[in-house]
Amino acid sequence: MHFLAVSLRKDWARTVRDPAQFAISLGIPLVLGILMSVVFGRAPAAPHGLLLVADEDHSIASTRFLDGFHRDPLDKMIAVENVTRAVGRARIERGDASAFLLLPKGLQLAFLTNAPCRLELYTNPAESILPQMIRETMLITIDAASYFRRGGTPLIEVENVAVRPSRPARSFASIFLPSMLFMSLLFLATSSAVDIWKERMQGTLRRTAVSPVSMLSYLSARVIFIILTYAMVSLVGLEAAQRLAGMPVPNLPAAALWMTFVGTVFYLLFLWITMLATTQRAASVLTNLVIFPLAMIGGCFFPFEWMPNWMVSVGRLTPNGWALLVFKAILDNAAHAGQVARSAAALAAFAALAFVFILRRARGFAV
Amino acid sequence: MIEVEHLRKTYGELTAVDDISFTAQPGEIFGLLGPNGAGKTTSIGCISGLLAPTAGHIRIMGHDVVREGTAARRVLGVVPQEVSLYEDLSATENLNYWGGTQGMRNPLLRKRVEEVLALTGLADRAREQVKQFSGGMRRRLNFACGIIHLPKVLLLDEPTVGVDPQSRVRLLDLVRAQAQTGACVLYTTHYMEEAETLCDRLAIVDHGKIIAAGTLTELRALLAERDLLRLSGIFKPDAAKTAIASLDHVEVLQADENLLLLSLPDASRRLPAIFSALAAAGAEVRGTNLTQPSLESLFIKLTGKELRE
Repeated sequence: MHFLAVSLRKDWARTVRDPAQFAISLGIPLVLGILMSVVFGRAPAAPHGLLLVADEDHSIASTRFLDGFHRDPLDKMIAVENVTRAVGRARIERGDASAFLLLPKGLQLAFLTNAPCRLELYTNPAESILPQMIRETMLITIDAASYFRRGGTPLIEVENVAVRPSRPARSFASIFLPSMLFMSLLFLATSSAVDIWKERMQGTLRRTAVSPVSMLSYLSARVIFIILTYAMVSLVGLEAAQRLAGMPVPNLPAAALWMTFVGTVFYLLFLWITMLATTQRAASVLTNLVIFPLAMIGGCFFPFEWMPNWMVSVGRLTPNGWALLVFKAILDNAAHAGQVARSAAALAAFAALAFVFILRRARGFAV
Repeated sequence: MIEVEHLRKTYGELTAVDDISFTAQPGEIFGLLGPNGAGKTTSIGCISGLLAPTAGHIRIMGHDVVREGTAARRVLGVVPQEVSLYEDLSATENLNYWGGTQGMRNPLLRKRVEEVLALTGLADRAREQVKQFSGGMRRRLNFACGIIHLPKVLLLDEPTVGVDPQSRVRLLDLVRAQAQTGACVLYTTHYMEEAETLCDRLAIVDHGKIIAAGTLTELRALLAERDLLRLSGIFKPDAAKTAIASLDHVEVLQADENLLLLSLPDASRRLPAIFSALAAAGAEVRGTNLTQPSLESLFIKLTGKELRE
């Protein structure tokens, strides 16, 4: 405990003496995020619309009903995603799409025999224009189909159901700032990790290795300092995002706790990578090689909401992408204890593995 | 007390330290003298527990460095060859931290910080960041951090390299003061003068081996009061060797086309005879340098090369 106090005092003094490093890591993404939020305003963002479709008929007719959405100009405004009925309902209720269209079984037969049939269109009330466009497109398609079939008044109806989403519409800030906060964490973790090379080059790591302090104590004290620093950074970052850019943070302690935890995992990951390098320059190049693809694909550069689906699928598998999804769920008050616990356990296991490697490597690295 | 028995350290094919043994007593300054790359720093690395020995045993105040590393490091102070300080911290903050790593607490630590700052002449710069210090000041602070906890055993790895003469004198005084308080000091250097003026006992190291050890008097006795005569010019090595062999008690240590190194008693009186013999052998002597018995001449006698090579 005595060494912990001594080490924390030393690390704090070093951080205070070099605030630029800290400010750059934290500041650039956060300032960027806040400025963009100010420019775009606090109103709901206007990303592309998303139409979820559950096609239970799997027929030529059911496919033709969606043709309009695959043609210019609608295909540039509305993306169509095939889902099951259950998934579609769940997602539209979460507000994840502009609308959910259910094409029931028997649609083609009803169309050919001019029998009555009802399509269910669930629309997101948080959006006004896109759901209306989807509804009008469907009505025009049905009218056109009936005209070509020379069947007179169409018996196929579109029942519009406005669902009550479980969360309000996302603002620009709520989409963009979580990503920027995570990018800050990544930068901060990198600069904190590369400090081990500074300690090595100035000989202080070697001196520590010949003191009675064990490498376990030294590294543990360092990790505790990182936890305390990141907790402070998280609280300040979340407060700033909330007050300056209007990012909703309904549960500040939980969000800050998750950011701190994830930041510490990132730190250990980058410390591990850094210690694999043979020179300080190589360490810097190696961390940059890792951080930028991770940030880009893991939703920390461009939010998942703005990324193509295939990239989102890959990004969700990265440690930062995975952690970011939980973070967003916490910000949306939609995080389930099981989901958080699973993610935390996996990240903790990853961090523990990195810590063991770092510990085994530390004494040799000091020489 | 430091006990080193058959210490050996290898890196693959390279043997950095080859079966060295010595004992250094409390209150004694024991020197390891040798050229760069002789294995001095590797030896210090093994003794301090930084490097794992390939073979052999090292005990610090009775604690085995490998098996009881923490206990050994508690009584150990190390002043590394390179300055090892937090450059963005002040002198006081560095001392507080390194004292803290040794388990020192206030008010003892505070008192000791003031003491070592005064000892090293840094009291008036105590609050300045190390990055603003001169090289000599950094060296002194580096030393201060090694003695902050009053170690019983002090390892100093070439602490005066690159230090201005004023700081060097002060550092050597500090080393003597440590030994006078009863600390066992192991001092590595490649400066002959330092070893001669500072160390109570010495081990001369070359290629990882101790090639001679003892007090300064014992080591000088190995030279049998012989002088070292260095002649520069143009020589035919074989002819020069033959010519010198005709003279009594003159030993050729090195002979090449531009340099002739001779070991002989009472060299100043015998110079005319040597010049005559060499002239007869077709040599042209252009410079003469006579060195009386010293560690340097002993090193040359033992290794056939100069320490600075």
